[in-house]
Amino acid sequence: MALLSRNAGRIYWAARYLERAEDLSRLVQSYGELIDDLPSDDDSVSRWGALLAVLGQDDGASLVDVPERDVIRRLVSDADQSGSVGFCVAAARENLRTTREVLPREAWRSVNDLSLFIRDEVVRAEDRRFRDRVLNRIIDDSRRLDGILTSSMSRDDAWEIWRLGRYFERADMTTRVVGVRAASLMAYRSSTLAFDEVHWMGVLRSLSALQMYQRATRGPIEATSVVQFLLFDRSFPRAVAFCLDEIDRCLDRLTRPERVRGAVDTARDALMSVMATTTDGADLDQAMEWVQLLLGKVNDAITDRYLSIDGG
Amino acid sequence: MPDRSPRPAASGLWSLLDELGMDELAARQRATELDILTMGITFTVYSDGENIDRAWPFDVVPRIIPGDEWSQVERGLAQRLRAVNMFIDDLYNEQRIIADGVFPGELLEDSVNFRPECVGARPKFGVWAHISGSDLVRDDDGTFYVLEDNLRVPSGVSYVLENRAVTKRAFPELFGHNRIRPVDTYTDALNKLLASLAPDGVVEPTLAVLTPGIFNSAYFEHSFLAQRMGAELVEGGDLVVGDDDCVYMHTTAGRQRVHVIYRRIDDLFLDPEAFRPDSMLGVPGLMRAWKAGNVGIANAPGAGVADDKCVYAWMPDIIRYYLDEAPQIANVPTYRCMYDDEREYVLDHLDELVMKPANESGGYGITIGSSATEEALTACAEAILDDPRNWVAQPIINLSTVPTLIDGELQLRHVDLRPFILTGESSYVTAGGLTRVALREGSLIVNSSQGGGSKDTWIVDEPNGDPLGDRSQQQSQQQSSDGGGVA
Repeated sequence: MALLSRNAGRIYWAARYLERAEDLSRLVQSYGELIDDLPSDDDSVSRWGALLAVLGQDDGASLVDVPERDVIRRLVSDADQSGSVGFCVAAARENLRTTREVLPREAWRSVNDLSLFIRDEVVRAEDRRFRDRVLNRIIDDSRRLDGILTSSMSRDDAWEIWRLGRYFERADMTTRVVGVRAASLMAYRSSTLAFDEVHWMGVLRSLSALQMYQRATRGPIEATSVVQFLLFDRSFPRAVAFCLDEIDRCLDRLTRPERVRGAVDTARDALMSVMATTTDGADLDQAMEWVQLLLGKVNDAITDRYLSIDGG
Repeated sequence: MPDRSPRPAASGLWSLLDELGMDELAARQRATELDILTMGITFTVYSDGENIDRAWPFDVVPRIIPGDEWSQVERGLAQRLRAVNMFIDDLYNEQRIIADGVFPGELLEDSVNFRPECVGARPKFGVWAHISGSDLVRDDDGTFYVLEDNLRVPSGVSYVLENRAVTKRAFPELFGHNRIRPVDTYTDALNKLLASLAPDGVVEPTLAVLTPGIFNSAYFEHSFLAQRMGAELVEGGDLVVGDDDCVYMHTTAGRQRVHVIYRRIDDLFLDPEAFRPDSMLGVPGLMRAWKAGNVGIANAPGAGVADDKCVYAWMPDIIRYYLDEAPQIANVPTYRCMYDDEREYVLDHLDELVMKPANESGGYGITIGSSATEEALTACAEAILDDPRNWVAQPIINLSTVPTLIDGELQLRHVDLRPFILTGESSYVTAGGLTRVALREGSLIVNSSQGGGSKDTWIVDEPNGDPLGDRSQQQSQQQSSDGGGVA
């Protein structure tokens, strides 16, 4: 069943905002765990600033010593801060409020409930003791919503558009994490291998990928294989290649997808060509920027074709 | 002093309230408020330059109306809307009622809601006002009066259904035992009505609810109705009229035909080609498509001509003229100052009446005789003599009150009632309607944007006299044995 182009736009963005809120929550959570595990030479210096770089929120300013509370506010609790978890949840709610006639009723209730919780409680994330409770609620509710839709929504255009939004945002987030975090880790290896492993575990955790990585590789945690897993694995649902495959599957069920598919193919080709260069940190960073640029073109193509009135 | 003892239909509720006590009642009130918040039942108010989505104000104590009384109101409303629709159809076509001298033609010339663009149109079944909401009040003698007919884009029906859903959770003890008429059938009836307006030959019509957008005060309702009917919720920009004079919507699969539009925007914004050229809300060419019979529109453009205050005064005559029947629901007696004898009466009884200028809305220019100063009454009399055609007058009605939870106790507050009436091939009236309550003591202002609340409205049938026979007898025995329906 076809979907109003206007509603397609709202559903696509609801899916993207919710995925971003979930991914960001997990990233903040795993970063906190990572810092706890790494001894610091000087406890007075905050190491939270580095997190802003992953999200491109560093504004080019120095990230060396941004206090933890400021970082949490910018990324989580300040709903006026564009891209924060609070902002994303409110935006997802507004988009779903205005598409209630399309999605199952329970979906709206679930997001409305989450947004009421966030409105009242998100400020508690600034306190480390309560942070996990807030972040877990977001992660859990985002997944619960996927569950509600999976089990109660017809496989129509609205469903495919929802999935497009989800997988697009996920692919984007994985390239960001791999690009900035992994590249900087590879380029500036810490002195001992033990800590190196801790870093890579943190990267995997921030993408919910640790356990599946270990099952898939049955080996030690090692830089090249982590990057390969996160970029190229065709069966792990947060790997970039997997997300692109899913986007293709959505396109199979939508009408006239040719131009969007062309953009996806270009992004996939770029991704695959990265394989040879992954050992060098700076190259990987650049390569991820390139892939992100091409993902941006996928987003443009989706917007032109499905989210705009009289789309090509 | 009105009688404060509950009517028999309310006995089940009252014995439960007695049993629960005020603390438990207050707890249930809080639970419903939380329910409303998490279900996202909201209305939008414009305040401080911003549109704010607010939780719907609700009082947990239901208002009760006996079933036999309501059946009479239902018949009256169905009759009234049948006549109103014949009147509108007549005004835009033959104008028999004017030729026969029953309705003065000059009133039509003055009407701001008469749309010359609609002259000659012939909507299906001769019906123009498919969906209407009539505001009723109850006098202290118990008579229901129609205060106003809303024939353009009446809102509130979504809250009737949501109030019931919330109340069922608040008083689960009562619903099994009492004969409370369900309200949930409305959206189904609306769906059928809209489908019946599709162009001839269309078997599975696509229905759309046309909303001004997400910032409109009634957006919640537009969305609710679209959800319940499986209709598309569209804004003007989603629609386009093709060269074939058919209406299409923009979708992910290209343009798709729309057969029936339930519009929730005013006439003048519907089609910038026909009405206001600066309207951003409407669809250019929509009137063309409608007149060509390629799309059904509810309510039909121009239907508002019959909800003028002037037309109201003629309603009893209109019902008699078209149906040759006596009106079955009362109009508030309305004196038309254009007629000499009625004007004389008004001028002699200014201090007992409410004087209303016919072409003002929202209560503007009204003089309430009983509370006006001598100077104001003199000024009013002069205004009437100056332009008698623009004035009507009505007796002052003492609005009924119902118990309402205020600061932890039950207090009496004024209410009105808006039932919704569907008119097509047949008629449908909601069981009850939206009860709005003025939460401030003595206040008559029930608008939710101005501190008014709402209540669930129960039409309760008495166990005896029910046409279901044996089964109902059994039930009534059961009910009397367990104490009037409260377990």
